[in-house]
Amino acid sequence: MKLMYLLGGLMLAGYLEVGAADLTTGRLVAGMCQTCHGINGFAPIPIAPHIGGEPQSYIKNQLMAYKNSERDHEMMTIIATSLSIQQIEDVAAWYASHTATARLPSEVSEADAPSACISCHGVEGISLVEDAPNLAGEVNIYLATQLKAFRSGKRQHEIMTDIAAELSDDEIRDIANWYANTLLKIERPQ
Amino acid sequence: MKFNQVIFSAFFSAFFATTTVASDNLSKLQNMQRTDATFTKISQEGERADALKDILQFINLPSGFEISLYAVVPDARSMAMAPQGTVLFVGTRKDKVWSVVDRDRNRIADEVKDFAPSITFDIPNGPCFSPDGFLYVAERNRVLVFPAAEFFFESPDIAVGEVVSQGNLIPEEEESFNHSARVCDIGPDGKLYISLGQPHNVQPVDKLELYDRIGIGGIIRMNTDGSDREVYTHGVRNSVGQDFNPVTGELWWTDNQVDGMGDDIPPGELNRQTVAGQHFGFPWTNSRVEIPMYKEVPRPEGITFVEPQLELTAHAADLGMRFYHDDSYPERYHGGIFWAQHGSWNRTTPVGARVMFTALDADGNAVGAEVFADGWLNEATGEYRGRPMDIEFLPDGSMLISDDFAGAIWRIAYSPANQ
Repeated sequence: MKLMYLLGGLMLAGYLEVGAADLTTGRLVAGMCQTCHGINGFAPIPIAPHIGGEPQSYIKNQLMAYKNSERDHEMMTIIATSLSIQQIEDVAAWYASHTATARLPSEVSEADAPSACISCHGVEGISLVEDAPNLAGEVNIYLATQLKAFRSGKRQHEIMTDIAAELSDDEIRDIANWYANTLLKIERPQ
Repeated sequence: MKFNQVIFSAFFSAFFATTTVASDNLSKLQNMQRTDATFTKISQEGERADALKDILQFINLPSGFEISLYAVVPDARSMAMAPQGTVLFVGTRKDKVWSVVDRDRNRIADEVKDFAPSITFDIPNGPCFSPDGFLYVAERNRVLVFPAAEFFFESPDIAVGEVVSQGNLIPEEEESFNHSARVCDIGPDGKLYISLGQPHNVQPVDKLELYDRIGIGGIIRMNTDGSDREVYTHGVRNSVGQDFNPVTGELWWTDNQVDGMGDDIPPGELNRQTVAGQHFGFPWTNSRVEIPMYKEVPRPEGITFVEPQLELTAHAADLGMRFYHDDSYPERYHGGIFWAQHGSWNRTTPVGARVMFTALDADGNAVGAEVFADGWLNEATGEYRGRPMDIEFLPDGSMLISDDFAGAIWRIAYSPANQ
């Protein structure tokens, strides 16, 4: 019994080598991300998504997926491979500490929101569940490219793979346009 | 004008009748029907323009040159000046092509609006003109042509044809958002040259044959009706800048190098192509640096890789380039090449975000790279004020620089009186 406790304690200690996430360090790590994603997570270039105010576990899981080659991208794979697990914790905490809010443009009606998406991504594209990214204000081509990657199997997810499989090109474009048109605001932590 | 346009449209819709009809409004336009598309106009005054003008004080130039803000253009990428010099067309990595007009010719644009808003564009990065005024737009996976775009851009509905229909530039499963910004040019042979970046950092070995056959990781050429497509250039990683030497007709192009090998290798490239079908080494080499993943993969037989004319600062991202064939700049610039360095994205110390120049010697070789304009990178903080992407020239010989980070087009003129 004693021995088992001891072993358990050792294993736990090994696992906890990754310390609590640190925002100050996270901001420094974000220096590697800012050219594409912005220091506050509002991306200045269309090929990168806005990540400020995204769920911490979502950011961390995506970086780990790139690091473990479960997701592949010609830039992100290189960046994530070079990051330690502690750095991933810290940078995920930095971006997640921001607040993302979004609103619909005045000319659209909430009733037209894409029904297949809103239970996880919200009407305005702000995530409602830990495992879903914000979609608000992303470039329509970015969103369409991701949906097509889920549809073709290039990118895999237990829920998204099935949802995307059913979508036509026109439906993908409509969904992408809906979220691209929402107005995203990202605020720094106080 | 209206009547002319109808005749013109009728002619071209007949001309292009054999092309595949795509979804969206293409078929309507090809049948001369109206769409309900409206223009998006970009304000050239106010807060945005003022913020951009504040950047000007940081830009360093050779003596006698001055820089100004030419236009506010969101996401401005590759540019094409219409042959008569009336309109500048600017691509983006989003879904718009912008038309930029300086009606009063005071060298400041007074109207910027989206071109052909009836068309659903998909990464229309690369516009280019034929000398007789056909505007080609190379998208991620389609190539469109707009006859006499210079005269008909004022209408949201405009005659259009498909040189390469949707999904036929590359196989759909190879579509990516990255390395999908095409550039195009009409060569001295009248053919359309289009760069096709390969979508990976280094392509997997099992893609080699497919990519080489299609010209992904290369430059392809075809007749302007899309026929006789062939791979003109092999062994490219991702070229986003090309131009023909107006004297010799040779194609020159820039290339972007592999990431993840360190801050200082491989060097960037400026390449000179003298013969169709030449191979420039990728994915076996970037400049003279061997790519580790391909050390054991047999090289194509009987082929010598062409080495670059210039090896440039690693990861500075050499993009759009143009030969200088005007005469308002001092003589040392005549016949030389200007190009934009977009700036690095993950180098420990950022580099680039500047305009470079090289002269050519008597044999037509590049002499060496020099910085022409810089200051878009705040070296104290490592943050960008702007990122030059492409170079084009106004009819008066002054330079336009597109900047997709600032969302601007800058103009650099030579005016020695202001020294």
